[in-house]
Amino acid sequence: MTGLSRSALLASAAVLALALGGCSRTGEKAAAIHAPSLADTAVAAVPENAYPDQVYWGDTHLHTMNSTDAIMFGSRLTPEDALRFARGEKVRSTTGVEAQLERPLDFLLVSDHSEGIGTGREVFNGNSAFMADATLKRWHDLMLGSASDQETAARELIGAFTHQKLPAPLMNLGNLVRITSSTWEQQLATVERYNTPGKFTAFIGYEYTSTPKGNNMHRIVIFRDGADKVGKIQPFSSISSPNPEKLWAFLSNYEQTTGGKVLAIPHNGDLSNGLMFALTDFEGAPITGDYARRRARWEPLTEVTQIKGDSESHPYLSPDDEFADFGKAGFDQGNLDLSTRKTKDMLAGDYAREALKRGLMLQQKLGTNPFKFGMIGATDSHTALSSAGEKGYMGDDAGVEPGPARASHVQTNAESGLARTGWQFLSGGYTAVWATANTRGAIWDGMMRKEVYGTTGTRLKLRLFGGWDFGAKDLKGNFVQAGYSRGVPMGGDLPATKRKGPPTLMVNVLKDPLGANLDRVQIVKGWVDKAGQTHEHVYNVAWSDPDKRRLDAKGKLPAVGDTVDLAHATYANTIGAAQLSTVWKDPDFDPSVRAFYYVRALEIPTPRWPVYDAVRYGAKLPADARLKDQQRGYSSPIWYDPKA
Amino acid sequence: MPGPDMTRLRARAMAVLREPFLHFVLLGLLIFAFNAWRGGVGDPADRRIVVSQAEVQRLIGQWMQTWRRPPTPGEVDALIRDHVKEEVYYREALHLGLDRNDEVVRRRMRAKMEFLAVSQLEQQTPTDATLQAWLDSHPAQYAQGARYSLDQVYVTARQGDAAADARAAAILRRLRGGTDWHRAGDPLDAPGHVEAADSAGLTATFGPDFATAVAGLPTGRWAGPVRSGLGLHLVRLRQVMPGHPPKLAEVRQTVENDWRAATLARREADGYQALLDAYDVRIEKPK
Repeated sequence: MTGLSRSALLASAAVLALALGGCSRTGEKAAAIHAPSLADTAVAAVPENAYPDQVYWGDTHLHTMNSTDAIMFGSRLTPEDALRFARGEKVRSTTGVEAQLERPLDFLLVSDHSEGIGTGREVFNGNSAFMADATLKRWHDLMLGSASDQETAARELIGAFTHQKLPAPLMNLGNLVRITSSTWEQQLATVERYNTPGKFTAFIGYEYTSTPKGNNMHRIVIFRDGADKVGKIQPFSSISSPNPEKLWAFLSNYEQTTGGKVLAIPHNGDLSNGLMFALTDFEGAPITGDYARRRARWEPLTEVTQIKGDSESHPYLSPDDEFADFGKAGFDQGNLDLSTRKTKDMLAGDYAREALKRGLMLQQKLGTNPFKFGMIGATDSHTALSSAGEKGYMGDDAGVEPGPARASHVQTNAESGLARTGWQFLSGGYTAVWATANTRGAIWDGMMRKEVYGTTGTRLKLRLFGGWDFGAKDLKGNFVQAGYSRGVPMGGDLPATKRKGPPTLMVNVLKDPLGANLDRVQIVKGWVDKAGQTHEHVYNVAWSDPDKRRLDAKGKLPAVGDTVDLAHATYANTIGAAQLSTVWKDPDFDPSVRAFYYVRALEIPTPRWPVYDAVRYGAKLPADARLKDQQRGYSSPIWYDPKA
Repeated sequence: MPGPDMTRLRARAMAVLREPFLHFVLLGLLIFAFNAWRGGVGDPADRRIVVSQAEVQRLIGQWMQTWRRPPTPGEVDALIRDHVKEEVYYREALHLGLDRNDEVVRRRMRAKMEFLAVSQLEQQTPTDATLQAWLDSHPAQYAQGARYSLDQVYVTARQGDAAADARAAAILRRLRGGTDWHRAGDPLDAPGHVEAADSAGLTATFGPDFATAVAGLPTGRWAGPVRSGLGLHLVRLRQVMPGHPPKLAEVRQTVENDWRAATLARREADGYQALLDAYDVRIEKPK
């Protein structure tokens, strides 16, 4: 299916290139800026561009009060509030902060936890059937108490849930179905009302929250379809089975019975204590070819960066990567609820880069790569406000919305003694999708093609094409057309070739018009040698001020500099570059081994959200708080297979 | 003729009637009588509890909603026992005034009142006339804004880079002199040729400063430089297509969504205001 749509795309790109003849300026396109349709519901069909030359921004991971943990943390915002905020409206947060995005998003998936969706509201309302249970009664009372009472309730819920100790009424699916099905029905109706093809895409989906012993095995489920199809099913939850293979079987059954389309997105490998990308399946048996095929089929994407840490790589796994420490503090010490300390041997199963490498190795053994995924970012916010970015970060949950105390707020697991502090949370990421139109179909298809990238909240524009004959001259012309007609975009496989030379990667990164300049563009290569050993290398391929900043013998680049003013929470774009582009040839190419390549683009240093809190609210920041970061984007990889 | 006893009795009665406590009790009785007459909370002093057939049916219905099967006779008895217990405690609690200073009860009651104010609206389908009225009263919100067709030449410029301004000025002179704009300026991964883009489209690609500046440019000739978050731009505005107020059919769903959200908020606010108006609120802030 994916192969088909890709060749169709290539064909249309080729036709377009012919029709246009020679275009002279970089990136210039016939379609120009895609003019959004004038009408919304009146339009039956939204015009689609000839090839996916538009980038659409959105969030695939957001919780509202329909998620039991979110409402227990205090959130009182609904899916409707979430959709209104994402499409650019002003919304009052649970704690009364007026919030509005600087720029609207193009799409949103409200992904409430399917486990007992809507039951938190019933606990809050004191449903008599629940109040007979002492624990639920206790939570009910705490939910009506102070902010700290509410947090206690939420933490107790998460602890009970992750250790299979939920109060009996919440485990009884047959009895819960009345609540969950009416919540799901309402949620679908709301999402349908806000889906506006051509202007704003509202996706239907949910989060499957498998968390054995506190180890995060969560998946986001995102449907291509509307309520006419999705309304025929009830969401599959980890109470039915915590084994993701059962989720895949459910998704497969959904497609067969409704004719619809759906995919799943794992997230927070960093909180899985080695399970997310383990070499074994959920039951502990070695991964088989069949498992690999199903995983690759149902999980074409992985969310690698979000509020609860960054899962790209880790300094322990990538000791030569000076930028691998981003978003690790606080999150690399234990699992989701900090019930179990993380040990070094678990790290390889936690992070995306290592998984991409393991995937090559498994492909060598099994014939299929189970971890052949594109990479995205998301918020996972539990405030119903998708607010990635340092300046407007609305918090992880309603208990830590903007205010002077949240950066130093400590959350401790009483049994393990492990703790996380507020400042360690990231502001969350966004997903960028290259698509032909802003519709459910076009954006979802872009996700399935892996023609996506993730950022840590910035909206930098990242293009990557892989081919065999790109040259510097392509960058002077219309490189987008060259990319589509003579190569593959991010997420693709390098086509088979008889050429002997190395692959050429054409990359262009443009800064966010409302954000920081760019420091550098890197290409991360991973490969597996004939002995089955995996390797990686990070190449600096384009950077600002190339006349002043030179690579040393080891390929390292001097730092870009630092303009951050902590006293005012500002920075200046007097360093860095607005746009970086290059055509890069792999200098270490071995045509006989499998490899992948992806782009990491880094901005110049900017203040983190706690610094804005210090300036706005006089927040006292802990002495060890990280105050600046280089925000970034991760492209989906392009794979090379000698046998292709 | 009243005897001395009767006089004493009357005097005592008068004294009792002057007792603040009695006033309190009488007033309480009045309030509860009023509530009972309105079908409200009932009189806590009332010692009779009737669990009617309808009440039992309601309890069974509520039970079935959660558990999706009829309760057994034993479970019905338990439901009734629990209901009676709740009623007894409820009346006693009201009698003791527990509703007045318990934080939890107060919040629960507030949440319930807010919910009552808005719950009917969620089901309601507005008429075209309602939506048209909403559209007419919020023209700016739905105006299809002006669309711009333009060409732009990009000049890279870091913050505070004076040389870039001079370079842009020189390129502008050449463009006005007829140089092929396709070959001028620096490469940028954004369209040089923009066709009928609205302000939102320009903002998404070039940032809000660019979108604002374009609206003030002359048409038909190269102008600028315009500063955006990306650098400097020389812009030839070719055509401005003025905005127009949309027909309801074009924006119906969005209008309905907005009408619903705003009406919910207003109804809650109005509901509260109506209640608030019946109170004399005095606030004594500590000096």
